[in-house]
Amino acid sequence: MADYDRRSSGGGGGYNNSKKRRYRDDDDFDRRGPRRRFDAPPHVRIRKQLLAIAENPMRSWHEEVVSIANLFTDNWDDELLRGNFVDLILQITVEQPLKTPFLAAVVLVANTNKPEIVDMLLQKLADGFGNYIQEGDWRDVKLYLKLLACLQSCLEGEGVFPVLENLFSRAVDLQTASSEDTIGTELVKIILLTLPYIMVAAPGQWAQKAADLMEKTDIIASEPHALQTLIEPYHAEGSEETMNPSTSIIKLLQTQLQVEANSGWGLSFLPRPWEFPAGDAEQQEKLNNATKHALPTIPIPETVVAGPRPLFPEVFFSVYAAQEVESVPSEATAASVLIRDALTDTINILDFNRHITARHLVEVDCFFAPRTFAARATPFDRLRDIEPPKSTWKPEDVAVDAVFSQLYQLPNPEHKLVYYHSVLTEACKLAPAAIAPSLGRAIRFLYRHVHRLDLELTSRFLDWFSHHLSNFGFTWKWTEWVDDVELSDLHPRKAFIRGAIDKEIRLSFAQRIKNTLPEPYQTLIGPEMEKETPDFKFADDHIPFAAEGREIASLLRRKAPDEEIQPVIERIHSLALDNNLDPLVASTDVFVTSVLHVGNKSLSHVLAAIERTKERLLDAGAASDAARTQIISAVMTYWSAHPGVALYIIEKLLNYSIIVPSAVINWALINYAGATKGEALAKAHMYELVFNTVMKVTGRVRQVAQRPDDDDGSKDAEIGAMRELFRAIEDALVSWASGNKDEMMEMDIGNGEGKSEREAHLGRWGERWLRTFRRRAAIEEAFLLEAAKSAKAGNKNDVAVSEAGAGAEAAMENGGL
Amino acid sequence: MRGPRSTVDRLDKPSAYFNSRNKRRGGGRDRHDRDDDVNMHPEPEDDPLKDATTLYVGNLSFYTTEEQVYELFSKCGEIKRLIMGLDRFNKTPCGFCFVEYYTHQDALDCMKYIGGTKLDERIIRTDLDPGFEEGRQYGRGKSGGQVRDEYREDYDEGRGGLGRAIQSERLREAERRDNDTTEYGRLR
Repeated sequence: MADYDRRSSGGGGGYNNSKKRRYRDDDDFDRRGPRRRFDAPPHVRIRKQLLAIAENPMRSWHEEVVSIANLFTDNWDDELLRGNFVDLILQITVEQPLKTPFLAAVVLVANTNKPEIVDMLLQKLADGFGNYIQEGDWRDVKLYLKLLACLQSCLEGEGVFPVLENLFSRAVDLQTASSEDTIGTELVKIILLTLPYIMVAAPGQWAQKAADLMEKTDIIASEPHALQTLIEPYHAEGSEETMNPSTSIIKLLQTQLQVEANSGWGLSFLPRPWEFPAGDAEQQEKLNNATKHALPTIPIPETVVAGPRPLFPEVFFSVYAAQEVESVPSEATAASVLIRDALTDTINILDFNRHITARHLVEVDCFFAPRTFAARATPFDRLRDIEPPKSTWKPEDVAVDAVFSQLYQLPNPEHKLVYYHSVLTEACKLAPAAIAPSLGRAIRFLYRHVHRLDLELTSRFLDWFSHHLSNFGFTWKWTEWVDDVELSDLHPRKAFIRGAIDKEIRLSFAQRIKNTLPEPYQTLIGPEMEKETPDFKFADDHIPFAAEGREIASLLRRKAPDEEIQPVIERIHSLALDNNLDPLVASTDVFVTSVLHVGNKSLSHVLAAIERTKERLLDAGAASDAARTQIISAVMTYWSAHPGVALYIIEKLLNYSIIVPSAVINWALINYAGATKGEALAKAHMYELVFNTVMKVTGRVRQVAQRPDDDDGSKDAEIGAMRELFRAIEDALVSWASGNKDEMMEMDIGNGEGKSEREAHLGRWGERWLRTFRRRAAIEEAFLLEAAKSAKAGNKNDVAVSEAGAGAEAAMENGGL
Repeated sequence: MRGPRSTVDRLDKPSAYFNSRNKRRGGGRDRHDRDDDVNMHPEPEDDPLKDATTLYVGNLSFYTTEEQVYELFSKCGEIKRLIMGLDRFNKTPCGFCFVEYYTHQDALDCMKYIGGTKLDERIIRTDLDPGFEEGRQYGRGKSGGQVRDEYREDYDEGRGGLGRAIQSERLREAERRDNDTTEYGRLR
């Protein structure tokens, strides 16, 4: 464990503050050297100790809990301290949920001495709880319930159960009202997640109550949710007969807890810091006989709201499923969902300090019962040698799995994807020897399943993988995939390799990446990719309009006025007419390519070049469909060796309204996909282009939709345009997916097997694209529906796309998924 | 942001550098007793960074391109403007840039998720910035680059080797030695 760097204080990890200055601000009080002994006041010491509770594996929980509780009760007269203590307990509960059971233990021990503290805490908790429900902050509701559950042994009567029952009856109302309701499902999830903590806090007493409650939740929990297909991470290939759909979290929980109930609620992995060792019977005695407190009533409003985060059903996702040795808890045990839940909460809550998140992940074993996990950094191959009943769960695998479950959450995780990248990077930096091999196995798993991962997830995988490598010197054991280099570019694994290399190059440069790749991969980085700036095709006299191209480029370079350019354009027009070419397309190609060439030094250069020629470009874009498409075509062709630059330029052209989103879609899915006989669909940057364009449109529509209705109907127009865009995508993709595309039918490359394999690949790409964009369409419809609802309700508050409800489902049905 | 300060530090706060510069100019906040629970609800004050959408990005390699910056920083949101820091005299990149986003939230996210990670295999540093002004794209060091590259004693390949002041000092020394020696023109 020596390689786990333990930082001195609760803060820690700030890279941002240079050492010398930071120290003054730090939490340590005794750094000024041994000369001056300074005991921090009790409230400071208590804060520090509470913040760090359970973090030190060398210290026993009981000792720690008792010492904090005593320090607190010894200073009971400090009124400030009393208030702060309660606030802090509640704050840690919602900010660092792994620590909740330990906080509860401190409260329970303090209760033996100063029972008033529990009343103070319960009152504040009840107030806060009411607010959270009002606001629809369901995660905080859950975290408060977890604390309450851990305090069950000091509560009067039935303790937490009445609250759970109230919540359940609200869930029933919601579910009866609509089968697409997601709040009710969320409530049931919260109830089921709270139950186990009650059972370990007050063992042996509540089995019947629990059984009654679970009998009721069964109906809601076991029924697959209407929206579940929408968020399924895998997209089975038609031929894959044995692929079971993922299981929803609540269904899993219901089954797991049933098993637990039948075996007397063992739940051996949950920490029980309130159970004292046999040697400390006195303390245990005191705890058992401590005062009980009434839980203040918590009113639950008639109508509950979905809250700030859109609610969707969740499925259980693991990158360590089906291994020969169980390195993570299997879906059959409650540990899988309960540990996962505590970890994902930690990850999502602490997004403002990824160093701390990573530390909690790396030290996950500190927060669960001893012997829940195998020793840290046990190599996977060694798990086989572990004799039962010892645990084979690798703490690193469990931690990494939790991050991936968020990174691959559909439709969207709570935070930007790059946050989850940064958590994995940080964890890997903190404990490289332990985490890196786990990441390696996760990568292999995802790579093996890349053909059936949802296309959006494949793209997230690509993005994370290349970004992660860029933080670790671009080292990866490429040799193990060497055979796949031979595969057709249409093969999903080959497509992944190509995409990953491109993304790596974008974050670095071609020569550098080439040096990290084994020989067989070298051919994937062509000489054109190693050039910093592309060739100017009009430098070659054999190309039509070469002279004109060069002339325009030189005019642009010396910033000649537009009047000097016009004659050349006209010359192109007449030349084109002579050769039976579309004059507008011809002149657009020459002009745009020249602009790009003049601006090829950097993004700023190209932006300046576009800015200077904006009027002419706008005119070109407005001239005809073909000309508009030609702008995109020229960009993508000129920068074909550096797709990242091409995509950047397209983005800016969209911003300038020189091109419109539908033109990008048409170019990508009709023109280019046709011209490449469908190979475009296997190119990661094509997906990125279409996806980015769609996200730009939907982001805009979301902004507009939240505004109050305007008179000029521009809101409806934007929404209409978005729907039109999704329809165009649908139409273009359906023919690829169903194999009806003209280009596919005409294909005569090879016969027999080669041909049918190609067709199979293409159909499959079409299906995967289709599924992803249908989901996007469905989610936006759901958003609009919600926005309209809250507009009607006069609720200007916020975003709340609560229920993915009817809209999403209707859209999915129309899409026939 | 929540009322009381968090139980762990936030990474989306301005750096000590910004605060200390601000303090010297008179404004800025009293930094005493950050650990004092009395002060759990600090008074809001007029903060030049409260809507900041721009970040200063430091410790770049001189060879890092706009494209690379763009590729990484777009992960936090669309970039509105990117200004590369240039040597005041040569107009070549000198290891910093300003990234401007469309929203404050994107800038904060960038502080949290990208600051302190690697770009072009160097740990980069980000700091919230009140906004770019003409002239700030140039290095303020004596020889045209950033001040930190004047007296740097470590050899940093990505940033022109040793500090420039030290380099020119050594050059002068070498010249002096050359002039003293009789072995004219011999390389040492």
